[in-house]
Amino acid sequence: MNYIVKDFMVPLSDYATISKGSTLYEAVLALENIKKDKNVDQSVHPHWIVLVLDKDGEVIGKMSQLNVVRALEPITEQTETVDRISKFGFSSNFIAAIREESFQNGNSRDYVYTNPVTMDMKVEDFMQNLVENEFIDENTSLNSAAHQLTVRNRLSLLVTREDKVVGVLRLSDVFSALIEAMKKAH
Amino acid sequence: MKEIEKLFDRIVQRVNINLRELEYDVNPYVHKLIPFNQMVKFYGFYGVSPHHPLSFEFRNSNLAGSYFLGRCRVSNSLLYKSDIRGDELKKEKDLFQYQDFEIPVVDNEEIHIEDSFLIKTLVHNFSHDPETLERFFIKDTISMNYANIHGAPSDGCFLGVFSTVDLTTMRDCVIGNFSYVQAGEISHLHIPPGTVWVRNPGEFNFYYQYPEDKLNDYVFLAAGSPPQGMLIDFVEDRKDAFQRIFDVVNIEQSVDVPSSASLDRYSVTKGHTTIGENVLVAQRAYLQNAWLGKGANVQENCFIINSRLEGNDVTAHGAKIIEADVGTMVFVGFNSFLRGRPDSRLVIGKDSIVMPHTIIDIKEPLTIPPGHLVWGLIKDETDLATNSISIERLSTIDSRLTVGNMFFEGNGAGFVAAFQERIHHILEANGAFFNGAEKKGHAQKNQFISFNTIQPYPEGTKKGMFPTIVIQP
Repeated sequence: MNYIVKDFMVPLSDYATISKGSTLYEAVLALENIKKDKNVDQSVHPHWIVLVLDKDGEVIGKMSQLNVVRALEPITEQTETVDRISKFGFSSNFIAAIREESFQNGNSRDYVYTNPVTMDMKVEDFMQNLVENEFIDENTSLNSAAHQLTVRNRLSLLVTREDKVVGVLRLSDVFSALIEAMKKAH
Repeated sequence: MKEIEKLFDRIVQRVNINLRELEYDVNPYVHKLIPFNQMVKFYGFYGVSPHHPLSFEFRNSNLAGSYFLGRCRVSNSLLYKSDIRGDELKKEKDLFQYQDFEIPVVDNEEIHIEDSFLIKTLVHNFSHDPETLERFFIKDTISMNYANIHGAPSDGCFLGVFSTVDLTTMRDCVIGNFSYVQAGEISHLHIPPGTVWVRNPGEFNFYYQYPEDKLNDYVFLAAGSPPQGMLIDFVEDRKDAFQRIFDVVNIEQSVDVPSSASLDRYSVTKGHTTIGENVLVAQRAYLQNAWLGKGANVQENCFIINSRLEGNDVTAHGAKIIEADVGTMVFVGFNSFLRGRPDSRLVIGKDSIVMPHTIIDIKEPLTIPPGHLVWGLIKDETDLATNSISIERLSTIDSRLTVGNMFFEGNGAGFVAAFQERIHHILEANGAFFNGAEKKGHAQKNQFISFNTIQPYPEGTKKGMFPTIVIQP
């Protein structure tokens, strides 16, 4: 498998993006629109994240469905209590049961969707900030990239050319390449 | 005085370095808390008896008003009016049980206090850390007023006012005011004020959190100010009574004490107080119109006022019982504050367990039925309903239980058994079951302790520092 990262990355120009300052609702629509975008080949690997760009077009963060779901988590006195006690050695089953009770005893989750404060949250308030081990150079071998995905426990890496993000390398694309290589070997 | 100031700065810096990950700065809480001229006023003292080991080494430290018993080594530390009780340390050839291991103790255990500042703190029991059986260490640690370090080695920690760490090794932790932690081993944790946490991994986990605003009425520590709140006021209002017993060399006991009981000469007794057989009253305990039945004990920094303890009751370090009638075999945990009123007494039924750091503060009469476990803040019947459970019912819990602000997971019967075993052990160690010939404990062994005083340099740059002192049999 003599490929390098740039052979398999999705170029930044093909990736779904959203601007810093967009609201949570706009972010949700952006995620939804990825699926509706006819330019994206949905039969292969749909995009699950949207990149957040600053005013200069630089990538400053990533936003996934998980980030949105997390942002929509209601914060009440009861959920704060659950968050607090989760640091004191209780089992995950216990915490889940207590959280379920707090949801059942609390307000309906639906109120969150009409809450203007939540809907107007800015994307930078709940996006995933970029960290040091998020990046990989475009000339890295695909074998090394596969290794980096596993040791960094990531579903994608941002591909750089001279410190500028130029694309995204996704686990699904690397996995496809691995399958092809295995098939050839057999 | 310069040496003592340099030592203070050095300790604060070392603790802050340990707590840097928690971004916690202890300086605002301890700066000018104890004026240096207070630290030069008081003598230190130690106990000599045929029943306790005798081995002390004090180096480059201030020991103002502090008491030592057993085996203890102190270096580069400030110990202000603290009690370092080494009468339950492990002995050479003891076997320490830890999980399925029986670990031999290869030397007599010692308390080692290094680079630490302890204020009115009690250090007692023995190291429960299987990795350090022969050394109960306290290093790079600051503990505030009326904290208890009980069988809990500590490295790089800050303990808040009236906090207790019990049978737990702690590293780089902040323990909030009035928090109680018994969790085996903790590291890099910031425990909020008013947390009561008892955990035996795989067996049970008990957690209660005081409402912060209500706790602040009782204990509060703000940066730049001394500790405040009703608990502080309660203790400070009675501190003059202790002054005389520390000033007078030969003090006469004002009440009859049976030959099987022990009333420490550094305790205060006022009003009409009765001491029963096998009773243990530790130093810095305060009795006023107290009736103590056979086998009851009153440990350090406890207050029993206008109250009756029927017998075989444990009043753990720092607990306060006011205007109350307490049945037999009742355990009142560390630093609990139980306050009835003259016309609204508190009644605690026999075989009950008052969890450590419980506050019961009532204005109407209140009765805790026999065989109940109570916790947290209780001011009336309504609070009692959400802060108590019968021990019988708790023993049936085998998964989880939530009552008010209390969360419990695990085996209720195991939790109850652990407490009951511990209560039995405390009574046994304190001599409650002495039969005239056998089963001697602290109540019988502590009757014959001599006290020697040690003094600091009175002037010069070393003013307040004690000279290097080594005391051996």
